[in-house]
Amino acid sequence: MIRCGYCGHEFPEEEGIRSCGRCGKPGSCRMVRCPRCLYENLPEPQVIKKIKKVFGSQK
Amino acid sequence: MSLFKRKPSSHAAADASLRKKKVALVGNPNVGKSALFNALTGAYVTVSNYPGTSVEVSRGSALIEGEPCEVIDTPGMYALLPITEEERVAREILLTERPDVVLHVVDGRNLERMLPMTLQLIDAALPVILVVNIMDEAERLGLTFDFPLLSEKLGVPVIAAATAKKRGVDDIRRAIRGYRLGSHAVFGYSRRLEGDIEQIARMLQGEYPLSNRSLALLLLQRDEEVAALVRRTEGDTYPAIEELVREVTFSRRETFHLDLSMERKAIVTALLQGVLQLPDKRRVTMGERISNLAVRPLTGVPLLLIVLYFGLYRFVGDFGAGTLVDFLEGTLFEGIFNPWISGLVKDFIPWWAIQELLVGEYGVITLGLRYAVGIILPIVATFFLFFSLLEDSGYFPRLALLVDRVFKKIGLTGRAVIPMVLGFGCDTMATMVTRTLETVRERIIATLLLALAIPCSAQLGVILALLSKTPGTLLVWGACLLLIFLVIGFLAARLMPGETPMFYMELPPMRMPQLSNILTKTYTRMQWYFLEILPLFILASFLLWLGKITDFFAKLVDWSTPAMHLLGLPKEVAVAFIFGFFRRDYGAAGLYDLQTKGILDPRQLTVAAVTLTLFIPCVAQFLVMKRERGWKVSLGIGFFVSGLAFGSGYLLNQFLLVTRLV
Repeated sequence: MIRCGYCGHEFPEEEGIRSCGRCGKPGSCRMVRCPRCLYENLPEPQVIKKIKKVFGSQK
Repeated sequence: MSLFKRKPSSHAAADASLRKKKVALVGNPNVGKSALFNALTGAYVTVSNYPGTSVEVSRGSALIEGEPCEVIDTPGMYALLPITEEERVAREILLTERPDVVLHVVDGRNLERMLPMTLQLIDAALPVILVVNIMDEAERLGLTFDFPLLSEKLGVPVIAAATAKKRGVDDIRRAIRGYRLGSHAVFGYSRRLEGDIEQIARMLQGEYPLSNRSLALLLLQRDEEVAALVRRTEGDTYPAIEELVREVTFSRRETFHLDLSMERKAIVTALLQGVLQLPDKRRVTMGERISNLAVRPLTGVPLLLIVLYFGLYRFVGDFGAGTLVDFLEGTLFEGIFNPWISGLVKDFIPWWAIQELLVGEYGVITLGLRYAVGIILPIVATFFLFFSLLEDSGYFPRLALLVDRVFKKIGLTGRAVIPMVLGFGCDTMATMVTRTLETVRERIIATLLLALAIPCSAQLGVILALLSKTPGTLLVWGACLLLIFLVIGFLAARLMPGETPMFYMELPPMRMPQLSNILTKTYTRMQWYFLEILPLFILASFLLWLGKITDFFAKLVDWSTPAMHLLGLPKEVAVAFIFGFFRRDYGAAGLYDLQTKGILDPRQLTVAAVTLTLFIPCVAQFLVMKRERGWKVSLGIGFFVSGLAFGSGYLLNQFLLVTRLV
């Protein structure tokens, strides 16, 4: 889960708006935008995802 | 996603006696719905994407008090009017699957904040049972409740629970088993709003999955899916309904959402009278104290200045751009690495042009790598650290509330704080985020101000580093930018037709920032930023090298010389402006280089810094502006910003020559 740094909304990473790569920058920026307020948030680090996988994810 | 699709599973299509009882769990995220779902269903659970969406919905079978039931855990929702896809899915489940029981799970610690949705569910004539969850925490805070009284007032069963500890689960089971949809309370709004609802509700003649009253409210809130449903159902009479809705929404266009929100709040306050007892001496947390200080102008502005002074000036400016850059750029690059690599390249590569490309004045290694690693990296690292600290504490929404009044004067609302704050990170992304603003007018004003007066993190860091050595110049620079931001915003608001919309938002709690979060966010932002800028710096160095060996660059500097002289600047500063076309921070780093060579005095430095900060946005930002606002507006903003930058630089130079302030 990602907690939006601006509005506090918690959402699963896959439901955030992923970088669309349309800003003219090379590659993708990896940011995940909050579906509620569109603030840019960072995805959960891989290591934390792996730990969650090991211990069973919580919805 | 189409709403209200006919589904074979809908109870309208099946004999009620043959189907399991359906129980839907609804409520905000993080109120313990999943814990309750697990407690009710045990192991018989399937998790799948809701058809046509990427939203996961969990379903489970359960034997509740001997009766077979299907339990659905809906995604988090805040209101019946959906904003996100999650909320859309949750509402679709409620309205198309027609659950026999809707368990509205709320957080006992924030009952007042969550009851408005209960009102909406009851108003919609849904079979609601209210589950007041997390009661253990609520009791620990000293809150006491009279749930029988609340149940009487709402006209629906109310159960106290702490589902994470399995408390109240048996009561919930019994309530589900014994639930019979009967009469429920009707909550009266103000006479004017009731009149509006009544007029529209009366015109609805079709069969709907929720009450006409609720439909009327959703129509007034411009719910497009409900409008489409009503259009399909009512047929020929719809244009008259649409016209009435349009009239009412137009007459109440400025304050409808706020009015409705305030009226619901008033109803909830009345409902909670006699139901909720706060402790005599409720312990006000440190977070609440800081939150109160942050949103009141009298204390919020000084607090903001303190945050900016210690965060930006001392930490990013002094430490990041001073101490760290001196060490990395001065000691490591200029002192050790560059002489060594230059010697190595000159020993092994005989061609002058290739030597220039790698280790010359604009060399990929001696300039590109030095700028990226020696100057920009430590500055953005400290900036992102500071930014992540503020973000994790929950300070930004309070800043939005604080500046809302000032922003209204420049045609924006507190909502525009999001792109403005993001602009201090990267203006390109911030320009994309302007689409979250409500009106085209707001978006254009915000785009203009971002392009004009909001320096990105790297540019800001380098400028702070440059000017912090002579604090007077920093004050003049800051005052100039603030003045231009406000004046241009004020003029844009006057010249552009349209009105400033209302702004209100729910403040999330202030939190103690967590070190792990801050470090993770900083690391991720740094990684992204660095991967992005390094190739660009190398490309820019290559283009500059190309310009140098073909003499094109020298010609460009010569053409710019009259403009530089008008600003009272030496012609070498043109280099920084040309750098600025590639990236804002590259331009600022060029200025940093000139200053370390002793080419600029404090006056020239101030003029150059102000002009460069206001100057045309970088290529990436311009591309996004074009994408978001179109060619006409983007080119207009580009020319206007460039003209204003040089005009301001010229006037500032004349002003400083006369006053000798710096």
